[in-house]
Amino acid sequence: MIEACGLSASVGTFSLHDVTFTVPAGGYGVAIGPAGAGKTTLLETIAGLVSPRTGTLRLNGRDVRGVPPEHRGVGFVYQHGYLFPHLTVAENVAYGAASEATSSEMTQRLEVEPLLGRDVRSLSGGERQLVALARALARRPAILLLDEPFAALDARRRDRVRREVQAIHRDSALTVLHVTHDFAEAGMLGDVAILLDQGRVLQEGVPEQLFRRPASPWVAEFLGAENVFAGVVRVLGDTPASGTGTDAGALEVEFRTGTLVIHGLAVVPDGPANAVIRAEEILVSREEQTSSARNRFRGRITESSTVGALTRLTIDVDGTPVVAAITARSARELDLAVGDNAFASFKAMAVHFC
Amino acid sequence: MSGVRDQASGSVRIGGRVQSLVVALGAVLLVLFLVAPLATLVGAGGAEGLAALFGDAELRASLLLTAATATAATFLGVLGGTPLAHLLARRRFRGRALLAAVIDLPLLVPHPVAGIALLLVLGRDSAVGGALLAAGVRLIGSPLGIVSAMLLVSAPIYVSAAREAFARVDPRYEYVARTLGDSPARVFRRVTLPLALRGLLSAGVVMWARAVSEFGAIVVLTYNPKVASVLSYDRFTSAGLPGALPVAAVLVLLSLAPLTVLRALHAPHETRLER
Repeated sequence: MIEACGLSASVGTFSLHDVTFTVPAGGYGVAIGPAGAGKTTLLETIAGLVSPRTGTLRLNGRDVRGVPPEHRGVGFVYQHGYLFPHLTVAENVAYGAASEATSSEMTQRLEVEPLLGRDVRSLSGGERQLVALARALARRPAILLLDEPFAALDARRRDRVRREVQAIHRDSALTVLHVTHDFAEAGMLGDVAILLDQGRVLQEGVPEQLFRRPASPWVAEFLGAENVFAGVVRVLGDTPASGTGTDAGALEVEFRTGTLVIHGLAVVPDGPANAVIRAEEILVSREEQTSSARNRFRGRITESSTVGALTRLTIDVDGTPVVAAITARSARELDLAVGDNAFASFKAMAVHFC
Repeated sequence: MSGVRDQASGSVRIGGRVQSLVVALGAVLLVLFLVAPLATLVGAGGAEGLAALFGDAELRASLLLTAATATAATFLGVLGGTPLAHLLARRRFRGRALLAAVIDLPLLVPHPVAGIALLLVLGRDSAVGGALLAAGVRLIGSPLGIVSAMLLVSAPIYVSAAREAFARVDPRYEYVARTLGDSPARVFRRVTLPLALRGLLSAGVVMWARAVSEFGAIVVLTYNPKVASVLSYDRFTSAGLPGALPVAAVLVLLSLAPLTVLRALHAPHETRLER
C-alpha cells in the first residue's frame, strides 16, 4: 500500500505540492499527466531518492520518513532503463536479485534469456526496458514504481509485456505505481488513477471515474474529451434524481453556451460552469429522430476523419463545433460527408458539469 | 538575373575560401609555435640525452627521483582528492563554490609563491615543520619536500578533472543501485567508481604529468636532491645551453609517455563521422 498525505518535495526549481493519494495494498495505481507534471519526482520521492519537505508517506503501513531507499522494499524502473553499462545483461539482472532463482524466473517470464550474454550498449530501447524490469522484479520488491516502462516497446511487445506485468502483479500481490501519459494504458491497467499537473494532484480515483467525471475542463481536455463548453447553468427542476448512482441527488438543469442550450442533470448551483460531453456519447443521424435523448441539434458536418474503425465528425451547430465519434461502418452506411446536414443527439445524463 | 545570382554565389565561394585559408593559417602558425621549440630541442639534444641515460648517473637518479616523487604526490592526490571531487560533484551545500575556488587557488598563484607559502607552513620554523623535525621527519631539502610541492600545485588539477568525471555519471544509475539494495558506500564502489574510472585515470595521468614538470614550487623547498626540472635548470646555469640540452631533451621525450596514455584512455570515446 502507498499512502501519501500532503507530500511536498523540491528538485532544483521543480516542486511537488501537497500530494495526497492512496494506492491500496496489491493495487495498481497509475499516475498520469503531461511532461513536467512531476510524475518522476513523485516516484523518486516514494523511493526515498528525493527527501520530502513536508507531509507523510507510508509504505505498507510503515512510516518511511528517514528510511533509506535500500530499506524501503521498492523496485524502480526508469523510462530509459539505466542499465549499468559496465556490466553484462546477466550481471544487471543479478545485481540486487533476492536469489538466483528469482533472477532466472524473471528473465524467463519477460523473455530476457536470449539477451543475457549481451553488452547492454548493444540493446535496443525496448530490450533495455525489459532488462530493467527483470532487474527490478528479481529483487522481489513489495512495491514497484514504473516510470513509463513500456514507452520504447513496439506495439506487439508492449501488449505482451503489459500482460506479463499484470500477471506478476496479480501473482505476487505487488503494489504498483505506474507513470504514464497514455490514458488508454492507465484505463487498461489501473485500479486507481492519479492525475498530476505542475506538481499537484488534480484528481484521483478509479480511471473510469476520471474519464467520465473530470474535475475540471483542463482534466477533461487532457483525458481526450473533445466537447468541453464554458457557459451558464440554470437549475430547472426541484426534484432530485433518486438512487445511489453518480447522478443521485442531481437536479434537471439547462446550460447555455453561445446559442446552444443543453439539458442535463447536475448538482451544481446556478451560475458559470463547464459542460463536458464525450464524443462517443453523441449519436448522429441524417434525419431528426424521436427518442428519449433530451438534446437534439441540427448542424452541418465541417470535418470528418477516420482512423481504424472510428470516424470523428465535427458538426457545426450555430457556430458551436460538436464532435461525435461513430463507427466507420455507421458513417459509411449513413453516407455522411463534409458539407452534409446531420443531427447530433445525446442524453441529459451524458452531460457532465464541472 | 541568373548572371547576378552566379556572381553572388561566386563571391560567397571566394569569401568562404578566404575564411578557410585564414583559419588554416592561424592553426598552422600556432601548431608550429607549440611544436617547433620542443622539436628543435629534441633534435639538438635528444640523441645525446638518451645516450647520457647510460653514462650520466646524476641524470638517471634525477629522473628516478622525479618519477617516484610525482607518483607519490599523485597517489596522495588521488587518495584525498577522489572523495573531495565526489563531494563537490554530488552534494549541494553552503560554501561549495567557495571550497571549489579555494582548491583551485594554487593553480592561479605563481608557483614560486606557492612554494614560499608552503615553506611558511612546513619550514623548520613553523609549528608543523618544527613538530615534524622533532619527530625526525625532514621536509625541506628532502624528497618529502618535493612531494609536498608537487602535491600543492598538481592536486587541484586532479580534483577539478575528477569532479568532472563524477559529474558525467548520471545520478540515476546510483538511484537505481540504491533501490536494488546498495548503501551509498556500496553504490560508490559498484557503480559510481567503475563508471567514472576512465575520467579518474585520465585525471591522475594529468596530475602526474603536471607534477613531473613542476619547477617553481620545488626549487623553493628542495633544490637538492634535484628533480629533472631542477637539474636542467642547474645544468643551464652552470654549463650553459650545451649542458642543459640533453637533460631537457630527455624530459620532453619522457613527457610523451603520459600523453600517449591519455590518448589511449580517450580513444574509445572519440566519435567518428560516418559516411
